[in-house]
Parts: sequence; C-alpha cells; structure tokens
Amino acid sequence: MIRPVRRRPRRVPVWPPLVLAVTVAVGVVVAVGLPSGSTSPGGDAGTAGPPVQAPALSGPTLDGGRFDLADAHGHVLLVNVFASWCGPCRDELPLLVDAGRRWSPQGLRLVGLNVRDGSEAVRALLDETGAAGLTVLPDPDGTRAVDWGVRGVPETFVVDRDGRIVDRQRGVVTRQWLEQRVAPLLAG
Amino acid sequence: MRWRPAAGTLVLVALLAAAAAGLARSAAGAGQDDPVRSVTADLRCPACQGESVADSRSPIAAAMRQAVADQVAQGHSRDEVRRWFVQRYGPDVLADPPARGVELLLWAVPALTLLAAGYAARRTLRPRPRRTDDLPAAPPADGPPPGGAARRAWRWSALGLITVVVSVAVAARGLDRPRPDPAPADPVAVAVGLARDLEAQDRYDAAAQMYREALRDRPDDTIRLRLAFALLRAGDATGAGQAAQEVLSHAPDSPDGLLVLGLAQRRTRPAEAPRTLRRFLTVAPEHPAAPEITRLLAAA
Repeated sequence: MIRPVRRRPRRVPVWPPLVLAVTVAVGVVVAVGLPSGSTSPGGDAGTAGPPVQAPALSGPTLDGGRFDLADAHGHVLLVNVFASWCGPCRDELPLLVDAGRRWSPQGLRLVGLNVRDGSEAVRALLDETGAAGLTVLPDPDGTRAVDWGVRGVPETFVVDRDGRIVDRQRGVVTRQWLEQRVAPLLAG
Repeated sequence: MRWRPAAGTLVLVALLAAAAAGLARSAAGAGQDDPVRSVTADLRCPACQGESVADSRSPIAAAMRQAVADQVAQGHSRDEVRRWFVQRYGPDVLADPPARGVELLLWAVPALTLLAAGYAARRTLRPRPRRTDDLPAAPPADGPPPGGAARRAWRWSALGLITVVVSVAVAARGLDRPRPDPAPADPVAVAVGLARDLEAQDRYDAAAQMYREALRDRPDDTIRLRLAFALLRAGDATGAGQAAQEVLSHAPDSPDGLLVLGLAQRRTRPAEAPRTLRRFLTVAPEHPAAPEITRLLAAA
C-alpha cells in the first residue's frame, strides 16, 4: 500500500539557519569584544588617564617635621610610595633623590610615602641609599597609600603645580621616565 | 495521562528550588557577621592574581583591609565603601563588577538558548490537530505515529541535559571552596606576617621591630618567641635572652624558650649555656633542633 502524499507543502526551514547565524554572530562579537573589554582602565604599568585632583596628604614626617601637600602648591611634586621591605624601592631611591636634588631649583619636590614600615628600618634604608634628607611621611597601616589608589610598591605619582595627579608609574622609575614625564612640567 | 505533566512540573520545581538554594548559598558567602570581611571578600587585591583583599597576604591588601575597617567603623555603608574603592582603583577592583556590554551577553545567551529550545520543543511535541480530511483513514497501527522520532529525540536530549546539569552540580559540591582559616583583618597577624617576610629576606632587625610592634598590641608568647629568634639572628643575644626569659617565666618548660635562651647564653654567659641547652634536650628530645644542639654540646 502506497502512503498518501502529504498535501501540505514542505516549508523551507527557517529556524536552524537563523539560530546558526545568531550563534556565529554572538561568537564573533564575544571573540572580538572580550579582549578589549577585559583590559583594566589603568593598564599595569602605564599612566593615569585624565589628571585628577590629588587626595589630601599631610602629617608628621619621619624627622619630626610636618608635611602638607597643600603647602606644595606651585611646586611639581614627586610622591614616591616605598617601603624598606621592598627591594626595588631600595634600588630606585638614589635615582629619585638625585632627580629631586638636581631639579629642586626648577621647583621639584620629592616626598616619600613610607608604607607599613618600622621607623628604624626606614631610617636604615635612607642611610644606606644616601637619601637621609628625604621628606618621609610614615603610613604605618598603609591607608594613605590606599587613598591614593596605590597597587603595590614602589609606585610614583607626579603631581603638577595645580595639585593634580598627571602621571603615575607602577614599579620602578627610570631616568628616561623622569626625563620624559617630569622634566617637561618643570620647564613650563 | 495526568501523571506526566505532574511529574514534569515536579522535576521543574525541584530543579528551580535547587538552583535557588545554590544561588542563595553562593550569594550568602562567608562573613555575614563580619562586615569588614564581607566587603573585603568582594574586593579584588590589585597586587595579586585572582585573590580577594580578604584572602591576600600582600601588604597592599592588608592596607586595604585596614581602610575598609576604618570606613566601616566610621559608619560608612557597604556601597559607600565599594564606591570609594572604585573611585581609586577603577571598577575592576570589584570582584563582581556590574555587568555591562559584552558581559551581559554571557547571561543573555544561555537564557535565550533555553527559551529557543523550549519554544522548539513545544512546537515539535505539541500534538498536531488531527484533520479528518487530511488523512484518509490510515490504520494507526501501521507504523510509528508521525513525530514519534522527534519526540524521542527531544526526550533523550532533555534527559541528557538534566544528567549533565546534575553531574556538574554533584561535581561542584566536591570542588567546594576550601576555607582554611577565615582570618579577619587583624593588625597583629598582619604585623607578624610582615615580620616573617622580613625574616625570609634575612632582615632580622626590621623583623624584630615588627614583632615588637605586634607584641605591643598583643602580648603573646608565640610572638615573643619569634621576636627572640629574630633578635638572636640579628646578633642581639641580650635582647633574645630577655625575650626568652620572659616566655620561660610563663611557661618554664617551653622548648623554644629554652633553646633561644641557651643559644643566647652561649654569647652572653657561656657558663650557663650548657645547663639550659641540656634542659632543652630533656624537655624536647624530638625537637628538630635537638641533633644540632647535641652536636654543639658534644663539641663544647
């Protein structure tokens, strides 16, 4: 017995190709979009984006004086976040102190934010690295550094004459970085 | 048959309930009672890979825990604290940043897939309205009813899907996050951790300083013993001896106390050292340092 032929006309299937097309489109979008979406805004070592007003920074210094960021208005300020327990900090300190000394007539000031450290240990470090004259602001519990958005030590911020953070270096600074990022601010 | 829809509904309800329970469990997390921990657990440590601020041992994470504790103590709400951190570290500091753009797709695609599959299943499984003029009296026993293969395919794939979900759920239970010690942000523990790091770098002076700071907050014999060891290694035998004496005044038979005191006495009062070290050997013959001390005594 022969089966009766279906009378209903066989429709061209729409769903499978549509689902396939959507899947491929989504796959392409995800593949292309995810890498750019997952990068952090600050990058890992690079600069900060637009200049932002520097958070307040004031308090007694290691040598018994007092430091206030507001008083440094009109100066270009290098804020170096460091600790005696951090080897790279030890390596970069002489370079920073040298830059601070050289460029001080042009209006550069250098201040160290000493994170989670003991005062004896940091004094020893300053003596060893020839940085005994450095203005050091102790930050025993590290909360000031967190207020500045520090991600690790060392980290160095460049604050311009108007008190805005215009640059930051995560990790060790180099002579080249200082020449490129700090020197132009002093010339102006 | 009435039991089929009933069974289907039952399975669906069970799956939904299990999903809701799992979601509630993972959302609840740990540290409901500790607001500092509950905030820090949802912050990503910026100096580490894949660790939360609550779990990381890095000094910056410790500082961030302190910053959270300060703000919580000042009465700031969880959202205020999180916003404060986002302003400084960007949205990536949140362990669960608000979904946006492409990330929303990760949620939308499975949902859309499920909806599409459900719709397709409904279309296939819905009994076709029998049209009398369509089929001229074909005996139903002649072969499988039209759509029977599709129904079977759907049923098997649904069964497969449920099996996959259940096995993943069962396997995930085995992979439950281990929680070794949910240590709260404790300044003393942080100081001790920092001191240990310093010791690892052979900087015993600085380590001793950290131990002293920790002791100021919490006079504890374990920390005092670590201080004594650090002082001994830093070459301060007198200080090490004093710290060890203090421990021994609380616990006269503390093996580590006797050990450090004995070693310190070798430099300060060599005549008393052998007696102290012999007492150490009597108290703790199995101590890892015992063979070395035996050798020292034999050589003397």
